[in-house]
Amino acid sequence: MKSAFCLRMHLVSVLSAALLAGAAVPAHAGLFGKDSPVPQWGLDAAKTPTPANIGDASAVILFDEYVEAIDGQGRAVEREREAIRILKPQARHEFCAVSYDVDEKINYFREWTLAADGKTFQAKDTDFVDVGAGEEDAVRDIPILLQTEKTRIVRPPAEDVGATILCESEELMAPWKREKVWNIQEGRFVYEALEIDLPPGSQFAESWHRYQPVKPVEDAPNHWRWEIKDMPRLDLRDVKASPAWDALAARMSVRWGDLAADGRDNQWRALGEWIEQLETNRPSPSPEISAKAQELTAGSSDFFAKLTAITAYIQKNIRYFVIERGIGGYQAHFASDIYRNRYGDCKDKTTLLISMLQAVGIRAHYLQVDSDRGVVDPDSPSLYSDHMITAIEIPSGFKDPRLQAVVTAKDGMRYLIFDPTDERTPVGNLPSYLQGGYGLLATGPSSQVIELPVLDPSANGSERSGKFTLAADGTLSGSVDTLNFGPQGAELRQFLKFTDEKERREYWESMVARDLPGVVLDSFQFVEPDSLAKPLEFHFKVTAHQYAHMAGPLLLVRPRVLGSAARYFDDKPRKVPFDLEATGRWHNSFDIALPTGYVVDETPDPVDLDMDFASYHASVTAKDNVLHYERTYTVRQVELPADRAADFRKFESTILSDEKGTAVLRKQ
Amino acid sequence: MRNSHPLCSTVLIAAMLPAVLVRAQLQFQPPTPGELKMTADPDAPGADAVYLNIEETDNNPMSYESHYARIKVLTEKGKEMATVELPYLNLSSKVTDIKGRTIHADGTIVPLNVKPEDLMIAKSGDEQFKRKVFTLPSVEVGSILEYRYDISNCDQKYGGCFVVPPTWEIQKSHFVHRAHYQFTPPPSLMPAHASASFTDLSTWADSHGRIIQSIAFLQRLQPGSAVKVGTTAYTVDATDVPPVPTEEWMPPLASLLYRVSFYYTFARNGTEFWQSDGKLWSQDVDKFAEPSKAIKNALNGLVAPGDSDLDKAKKLYAAVEALDNTDYSRRKTASEMKELGIKAAKHAEDTWAQKSGTSEDIAMLYLAMLRAAGLNAIAVKVVDRDKGIFDPSYLTLYQLDATLVALNAGGKQMVLDPGEKMCPFGTVNWRHSGAGGINQSDKGIQISTTPEQSYKDNSVNRVADLTLDAHGGVTGYVQIVMAGQKGLQWRQAALRNDDTELKKQFDHDELEGLVPEGVEAHVDHFLGVDQPGQNLMAVVKVTGTLGTATAKRLLLPGLFFETRAGAPFVNEEKRLEPVDMHFAERITDDVTYHLPAGMTVEGAPQDASVPWQGHAVFILKSKADAGQIEVVNTLARAFSEAKPEEYQDLRGFYQQVAAAEQAQLVLKIAPAASAAPAAPATSTPAGKGN
Repeated sequence: MKSAFCLRMHLVSVLSAALLAGAAVPAHAGLFGKDSPVPQWGLDAAKTPTPANIGDASAVILFDEYVEAIDGQGRAVEREREAIRILKPQARHEFCAVSYDVDEKINYFREWTLAADGKTFQAKDTDFVDVGAGEEDAVRDIPILLQTEKTRIVRPPAEDVGATILCESEELMAPWKREKVWNIQEGRFVYEALEIDLPPGSQFAESWHRYQPVKPVEDAPNHWRWEIKDMPRLDLRDVKASPAWDALAARMSVRWGDLAADGRDNQWRALGEWIEQLETNRPSPSPEISAKAQELTAGSSDFFAKLTAITAYIQKNIRYFVIERGIGGYQAHFASDIYRNRYGDCKDKTTLLISMLQAVGIRAHYLQVDSDRGVVDPDSPSLYSDHMITAIEIPSGFKDPRLQAVVTAKDGMRYLIFDPTDERTPVGNLPSYLQGGYGLLATGPSSQVIELPVLDPSANGSERSGKFTLAADGTLSGSVDTLNFGPQGAELRQFLKFTDEKERREYWESMVARDLPGVVLDSFQFVEPDSLAKPLEFHFKVTAHQYAHMAGPLLLVRPRVLGSAARYFDDKPRKVPFDLEATGRWHNSFDIALPTGYVVDETPDPVDLDMDFASYHASVTAKDNVLHYERTYTVRQVELPADRAADFRKFESTILSDEKGTAVLRKQ
Repeated sequence: MRNSHPLCSTVLIAAMLPAVLVRAQLQFQPPTPGELKMTADPDAPGADAVYLNIEETDNNPMSYESHYARIKVLTEKGKEMATVELPYLNLSSKVTDIKGRTIHADGTIVPLNVKPEDLMIAKSGDEQFKRKVFTLPSVEVGSILEYRYDISNCDQKYGGCFVVPPTWEIQKSHFVHRAHYQFTPPPSLMPAHASASFTDLSTWADSHGRIIQSIAFLQRLQPGSAVKVGTTAYTVDATDVPPVPTEEWMPPLASLLYRVSFYYTFARNGTEFWQSDGKLWSQDVDKFAEPSKAIKNALNGLVAPGDSDLDKAKKLYAAVEALDNTDYSRRKTASEMKELGIKAAKHAEDTWAQKSGTSEDIAMLYLAMLRAAGLNAIAVKVVDRDKGIFDPSYLTLYQLDATLVALNAGGKQMVLDPGEKMCPFGTVNWRHSGAGGINQSDKGIQISTTPEQSYKDNSVNRVADLTLDAHGGVTGYVQIVMAGQKGLQWRQAALRNDDTELKKQFDHDELEGLVPEGVEAHVDHFLGVDQPGQNLMAVVKVTGTLGTATAKRLLLPGLFFETRAGAPFVNEEKRLEPVDMHFAERITDDVTYHLPAGMTVEGAPQDASVPWQGHAVFILKSKADAGQIEVVNTLARAFSEAKPEEYQDLRGFYQQVAAAEQAQLVLKIAPAASAAPAAPATSTPAGKGN
């Protein structure tokens, strides 16, 4: 389960059709929709034939060009020209969009349609609509992250199959922006280009993610142009167990001003210094903060005790909520305000944590990451990410086995990595979605990109045991006791936070019903869910009618009563890695007392499969009229390369076979 | 054609009143010791928060509203109630005087001191739909959240104020202990003054020039609660209001929730309203659907003089169904229509000339053509049953969504749905079946309900021919034959998507979860997608591992389909609201397994018959022959709706169905073949579970 998204750094160029559908009111484009002839660039682009190799694309982007004109103060004016050909009916609701915030301005935004029958249209004022970019949590239906950012959308006239949509816009960007992230796989592109026009003497830095760098051409003095042809769309819709789209899609980042530096390490340093400068004085502890921190740590004897007291306070008492305004997408509020209001976003929570730790003599720093593993690329310096967490300096020589999420920086400094936004993962551990990713450690001149640790399987998982009685009519009843560790326990705790009693029962009943159709959850109990230091205990009792099935003289019963570890797999060629989600160890032990008069005729074969990335051991035994099932499933890596697809299939199919394994009972 | 008469809207903007500044804002109140100490609410067990108080005062002569809420936070989740969103229409209304505070369990008060943010939802020229957002500070479990705000319904640009009769959503997301609502309309419209002239608003009339006579209201309240009519105001006092229900297969939520909706109307009663407004609607229909010369000319070549009435109706139906229905393709933008010199259709002949129109336009065109052909046909206006339930006591045509055509041919009346693209002649979309509304008649307007559909009208037959190998592997094909609603659903999807996308959607929506774990099912091709008069067939290719092999046996799910989908209602012990399963239907599965050589059936699914008398039946039969076994099961559901008091019977039925669907098939391996090792599964749609 992901933490809440926090930073608004993924610039939106195309929004979902649902958003457009939701914008029921047509808007005026003001000065932006004035009649003007179809531009020559559009006429030229429209001559581009549709490529033969479009795959499943419903539209093809014939031409897409960004020009970033940077002034002497580093402020950019961005112009985009785009030509899209509609190929299939489902693309009839494609549209162009320009996002803007409080300190930005759309200079103009025009659209023309070259219809399949040769007619030409231009969008008028009534075809434009502005919509707010407030992001709402669909599950909770409560807004927790709102933004002042808005998006202007044009609904192209005559948008039928065969039509070519031409859009051109120009926008004055926020004065503090120094980076353009060029997403080059958002569609099926025939041709795309990025230009940057810098003032004399200015420098730029570029970096590429999952794409061989393209050499720019200097069209004019300090005016650079990158071009890409025939870029396929990255479509992960039918790819299961895939890393996030952002982690896999090709992109390029170009930076200027203070963010331009030579060499990878210097570029990361420049970005880290920019963050630190942006947050200057934000964490300064107020007297109230200092007093609270002292109060919380009074009597704490060592580093870990102090740390736990403060992190637990922030996790429990600072509510996740923010309205981001302009640079507020990057910059935290002041710690004193956060403390007074008791709410904030990830930057705010990190700021308050740094502040409170500072008040008790512990140094901590901003660590910018992404909530999807693989988005932050150590070889591609960029601010492109969506989350802020905390790197806490560990005193020299201090050791404690509870400090698991530890990273050693290049200068030898050890940091404990902690996500204060995740309200349920205890300090020392690390949410699974962060493990194996990278982050930008903002420590002034020593800022650097660091790899986040992948924790040992023992730091995550569950221990589940069940004792059941099977009746002769097939009814299974019994109790299940589970201990949930690390991130697994945190996810469950998070679930408890956002559900009431009725929802918990419904959810859990539906989960159990996957394995036990028609189950009745007789009772359930979570023990001390707020106690982060302990594994989360979960106990429940169930009754499932007709769990075992008569087949002639036989009674068939599945020894693996509950829980599935098998992931989806298929025989399709694999091009992207497998996301294994989390390391961990899950152990099940089930005893089923058999009905009188039945004996075990057959049991499934034991399974012992040990691979480098995971292992699976399962066995079924019968003794004293009790059927005993035991399995241990261990995952040691969070990702598996695509060329290991055969191993993945073998592993998952083995699990599936075991999970479906049936014991055959025969009436004596 | 326009949708309906713009009468009796809940927002009436005909009168511009002077702003009055004297207002009585609702005040904060001190918490009781009991409220401060409360850690759980016995009236709302397990609730994460409860409303202690809600108050709303609406004053139309003064064009303002005052709102107040007090909330007790009981759990971590309940803290989210601290964030409040107030949507409003910029320029025509203004949210003012937002005040809030958090009261901790120890009585400490933390005031709201952060300015609420003003965020855009959507913008249209000068008009913006916006929302004020604020979050109360320092919230803890145990806190009491308290806030109030006013809304002024006055024009911010041109001055003057609006009369906005309120709608009170009495039922909230959380349990409400006490709620008080008060609405003060113009005094002369109160019943106590009904005989008085409406001097201050003497020109107040609707768009048809009918003088506003009275205030009407829709009230849907819990037993024991009712709108009280005073001399100057209407009030509602509600206590212990349960939260908004969340149950599977509920009727449209809008038709269930407790609420009161006021509106001004010319009519003094329902009969007067429906006859008057219905008459206007009927006149509009007749005007649009006039069998003009152009329409009569259009009939040439479409029907022959010798055709029977029914044949004529069918041919004309086919002709209008063939037009571009822009609700399934794309509506032209206003600028596009201007560029093309096209105007919105005002008469059926316009739609015919353009060969294009909305569902409404096309339905009316069909009516015009039927009349031009001399057939007896009338218009029927119904609610969309997916959105609401028609309430004749709610005096507005806005609750009606779709236009149908009722044809009287050969002494038999049938309801047709020409606005539904791909809907076969003689049937309607389920959203328009059993749907209330009004229809034209010789005697004026009648309130009526369209016929329910029979389970025989909507069927899905899945015929599988599967070959098993000794390791449990399976290959084969499934033919899914869809008649009625399922066929309509996928034919309409085909209008919006190309074949590749349609297959993907079918795989995802229909097949995933339908077949057992370890088996993949993908559509190979469709038959009859563009022939609504015939059954739609999906031919599905199946591969994977179906069973598990042991040393002596091959164990398989007895039923190939629905083994993972799960029957509804099984886990829902109690029911508060009616069940609405949309339409009756019959699903039949006929699966033939070809057995591996050397295997015989040791145990087959037991024949079963699960009846729910008068409502539904599930039948399962299997028949083993040499080298194969055929398993046939049928679930026929004759009902689409069930009352809460019928729920236990309904649940019991589905529990038995769910159990029967778990039946197993056991094949015995002959001694010579039993040496074959078990092979791992080859695919699975499973995810990591609990």
